[in-house]
Amino acid sequence: MNKHGFTLIELLISIALISVCLLLILRVMLMLENINYDPSYASSDEIRRTEIIKNIESDFLTYHLNGLDIIKNDDSTTILFHMDEEKSLTIKNDTLTYNDEAYTLRSDNATYNLCPSYKYLALDNDYYLISLTIPVLINNENTTTIDDLELTYIGLRNEFTNYPPAYSC
Amino acid sequence: MKRGFALLETIVVITFVMVSLLLLYTTFVNMYNNTQRNIGYDDASNIYKMYYLKEYLNLHNLQDLLNDEDIITLSCDNFNFSSCPSLIDSLALNNLYLVKYGLKSYDSEKYSSSFNNYINSLSNHEAYTYRLVGEFLIDNNYHYASIGVMSNE
Repeated sequence: MNKHGFTLIELLISIALISVCLLLILRVMLMLENINYDPSYASSDEIRRTEIIKNIESDFLTYHLNGLDIIKNDDSTTILFHMDEEKSLTIKNDTLTYNDEAYTLRSDNATYNLCPSYKYLALDNDYYLISLTIPVLINNENTTTIDDLELTYIGLRNEFTNYPPAYSC
Repeated sequence: MKRGFALLETIVVITFVMVSLLLLYTTFVNMYNNTQRNIGYDDASNIYKMYYLKEYLNLHNLQDLLNDEDIITLSCDNFNFSSCPSLIDSLALNNLYLVKYGLKSYDSEKYSSSFNNYINSLSNHEAYTYRLVGEFLIDNNYHYASIGVMSNE
């Protein structure tokens, strides 16, 4: 046995084994990176998206949505929700403001589409369905709908109910 | 006194490190697969869709459909309102199920693997009779969301 340290063969075997270990670590790190960062959709805004949807939908239920207006401006779109307490949602390229609270997009190259899609469906003589979607674009393209802000409401019609039948920009 | 590690000592230590890393790797791979699998589960907007759908179907005959079956596949034939197909279409629903709460074993071969994965991921902490499970087809991927249904709600 060589008592003066490693021989060349010992060093080569050790380096080979350590390389295998390091490759495994690298693969794990790359996988973890992919979990946290997916550039194909607004992955860094998932939690805020859930927060926005929850806040607006909770208000729909608490204050009873009874109508809405969509107002398009040059650099923003405002949606007025007619409820027991009036609320508004302002969409700008990178920010969405609801109830004086601003939510700025953090994902790379992500912007809000200023042209929301809106659908009104009469379910029967009394009930109706509202679908309102604010698309989130990546590099000006709606690559997927899973990051879009989609709001739904089924309500009971009354004498004050007033929705536009359709909307296009 | 030796002045360095022997080959055997080096190999033993590296083998130990490799086994530890392999265990770590397997754990992370499982975590990664679970995360990927769960991306389409219980999205906030889909949960609200299911909530409104349940409330509306309760006005029709949803309660009459709660029988002893483990899983009931629902369609517009089960309901007596004409706007049902438009409603299902507007909500981007591909399939609708009533699944008994606390279901542990069922004939999984009758259902898609994505549906079975979702059912197996659900917890059963709350005391509902059934859960209304919606299968959404979004960007050619199946997404799922569910909401509890009580009998005599």
